[in-house]
Amino acid sequence: MKGVIFNLLEQAVTDAHGDDAWIDLLEAAGVDGAYTSLGSYPDSEIVALVGVAALQLNLQAADVLRWFGRAAMPMLAERYQPFFAGHASARTFILSVNDIIHPEVRKLYSGAGCPHFHFSNDSDGRLIIGYQSPRQMCYLAHGFVEGAADRFDEKIEVEHMACMLEGSSVCRLAVRWLH
Amino acid sequence: MPPRGSLASLKSFTPPVSDDRDHRLARAERRVVRERAARMEAEAIAEQGLRRLYESQQRLLLLQRITDGANRTTEIEAALRIAVIEICRDMDWAFGNALLVGDQSSTVAGCDVWYAADPDALFPFVEASRHARFEAGIGLPGRVLADVRPHWIDNVTRDTNFPRLNMAAQCGLAAACAFPVMVGDEVAGVLEFFARRLIVPDDDLLGIMGQIGTQLGRVIERDRARRALIHDAHHDAMTRLPNRTLFMKRAESAFVRMTVDQQVNMAVIVVDLDGFKAVNDTLGHQAGDALLIDVASRMQACIAAAEEEARGSGACWRATLARVGGDEFNVLVDNFDDAAAVTRLADTIHRCFAAPSVLAGKQIRCQASIGIAFGNQSYGDVEQMLRDADLAMYQAKSHGRGQSVTFTEQLGTEVRRRTQIEHELRRAIAERQFVLHYQPIVSLNDPNSICGFEALIRWNHPMRGLLLPAEFIDIAEQSGLILFIGDWVLMEACAQASAWHWRTGGERLPFISINISPQQFLQPEFVDRVHAVLMESGITPATVRLEVTEGVAIMDAAQTSVILEKIRAWGVKTSLDDFGTGFSSLSYLQSLPFDALKIDRSFVAAMNGSNKSRGIVQAILDLARTMGMTVIAEGIETAAQEELLRLMGCDMGQGFRYGRAETNTHALAKIMVC
Repeated sequence: MKGVIFNLLEQAVTDAHGDDAWIDLLEAAGVDGAYTSLGSYPDSEIVALVGVAALQLNLQAADVLRWFGRAAMPMLAERYQPFFAGHASARTFILSVNDIIHPEVRKLYSGAGCPHFHFSNDSDGRLIIGYQSPRQMCYLAHGFVEGAADRFDEKIEVEHMACMLEGSSVCRLAVRWLH
Repeated sequence: MPPRGSLASLKSFTPPVSDDRDHRLARAERRVVRERAARMEAEAIAEQGLRRLYESQQRLLLLQRITDGANRTTEIEAALRIAVIEICRDMDWAFGNALLVGDQSSTVAGCDVWYAADPDALFPFVEASRHARFEAGIGLPGRVLADVRPHWIDNVTRDTNFPRLNMAAQCGLAAACAFPVMVGDEVAGVLEFFARRLIVPDDDLLGIMGQIGTQLGRVIERDRARRALIHDAHHDAMTRLPNRTLFMKRAESAFVRMTVDQQVNMAVIVVDLDGFKAVNDTLGHQAGDALLIDVASRMQACIAAAEEEARGSGACWRATLARVGGDEFNVLVDNFDDAAAVTRLADTIHRCFAAPSVLAGKQIRCQASIGIAFGNQSYGDVEQMLRDADLAMYQAKSHGRGQSVTFTEQLGTEVRRRTQIEHELRRAIAERQFVLHYQPIVSLNDPNSICGFEALIRWNHPMRGLLLPAEFIDIAEQSGLILFIGDWVLMEACAQASAWHWRTGGERLPFISINISPQQFLQPEFVDRVHAVLMESGITPATVRLEVTEGVAIMDAAQTSVILEKIRAWGVKTSLDDFGTGFSSLSYLQSLPFDALKIDRSFVAAMNGSNKSRGIVQAILDLARTMGMTVIAEGIETAAQEELLRLMGCDMGQGFRYGRAETNTHALAKIMVC
């Protein structure tokens, strides 16, 4: 996992719960905690941090990830403004992930393993997002999608039609835009 | 007290010590915030550096791929294709198109080298671009050509100088950029790219595109050098026309097309200038070269005009004019429907010689002999066609200047016959198969008295028996063999006549009339040769009469006069043969020293019933008398002709009335009887 994700998590936690909460989280998770955006760190550390947070907040890890994704979006927008420029809706922004955002991420972080999303539309006009990653962080993606909707001031509904956490081989998120 | 802010004050600074834990904690927290901010700034700087490094690495890799591609190929289009594809993929641009600058340097045109990630969606724009042509300054490529620098358009659909605006809008293209391909300081081509989103130029991109443009420019330079070499190898340096090599290449391809598809026609035309050698000899090689350049450009222009006109009427034949030898040109006509198109083209070529060429201030009128051979399935190769076209051309030449002849089987047969005869003539010379027969010439005042004989050649052909000159003299003249034959005749006739004189003990000295061919007469050593024959044979020179035709006299009157005078100086007589059949110009008759004049048999034959012919004969006789020339009438067959000519004042006669040409033995017998 790239250090930038840990940095974003730190910022989200600190913004929501104060500096000490992050220190507590690091120490409770038993991780080193010195993260730089340019570094790579074991996936197990993010899993541990999310797990501890879930325990402390009495939430599911999935909910923590989803919260984190949503909270991280404004920070990403601040940090990587060019990715958001030129988009008038969350839908086009989401669709640009594979072709524009991920290549750009790879430019910055050599060797970054970005997940590939498969996009389609179902008969109801919902955007279907297929996701497959050994990290199984579909709820982080879920949170990012919600954060993107917030960014463009849109209301959406996200449904997990299939989930690797429940034994499916892929995750499929269906996103409906509410008018 | 030291000044404020100096190092001295810093050295003396002692930080306040506080035991206040809250204060220390606050300080520690501020430090953490600062350090986090510093870390984030450091990360941002590092990220920017990484991005730049990544991009420049990618662009170097792009340049390397394009350079490798350019080095692998000699074809400019292939190198451009590699560049367009690589750039589009690397930059994620929707469409790339290559254009090359035309020969005039004022236009740039698509060379059908393009790449589109999604060609279906871009079809209208691709179609509008792949062969598009732009004047300098017009459209995106035209701007690059005019300004010799890259150009960018943020939104082509709002650009006022973008002719493909509608198609671009239809395909959803927005931004565009174009870069020059440079050869030295010259724009040799343009690469243009289009994207659906904004293209932001930066120094790195401009730098890399500049380098790509230079690499591609090198391929163009190499390509130009290669083409120049190929062009030089395939073209005549003087006239700039295709040379024999290129002509044969094209002719062979056309021949293959013809043999594969019987609907496809081809023909070859051989054009040989008439009298070109004389221009070279009299005006010099420089003038000859200038003439060749002039006629080549005329033929080229008139063939191009004829092609254009034919295309206008729906025909689609093509013609390639080539210079294949000194003054010899070939034309390949390919893909015609109607053979008449080819003969019309030959007529057109003749017409383009109508106006004189002006060389060194002199007007030279040049003409050409043309031979045409139409391709057919019986030909084995183009060489055979060219041989036949050559034969036809020689046939045309024999008809006089400015003529065309189309090869036919009949002509082929005739030529083969002539070739066979020529071959046999060579053998006849080597094996001495010729004999001389002698026809008596009498005085009309005393027809029973033989004044002399005309030596007439016969060919004792091993298979065909005795052949008259009409069967072989033309061929001997055309093949140059007449020189050998004529020399033999001169020697043999003089030797025989000398023998007669010896046999008669010198009592009777009939003269011997010997025909001299024009070629023989004009040989530089002719005079010496005559002298040598006189010496060898021991004949009395006054009994030798050399007969030449009018044709010799008009070829070079001055030279003819010199030769005749030299010969006459030894006492040899000279006769003008066949008078009245050729040019019969009084002016040269006056200037040339002939002793005798022979009236052609055709006038004698026509005299019987025609006052006009009689009038002509009388005029000739009067003229000859005035000039002090003896007159001999040929072809006298009847007593009436003899009587008429005698009364008109003709000196001598020759014809069946006095005897046919007979062997030496018979001639000698006649002399002895006289």
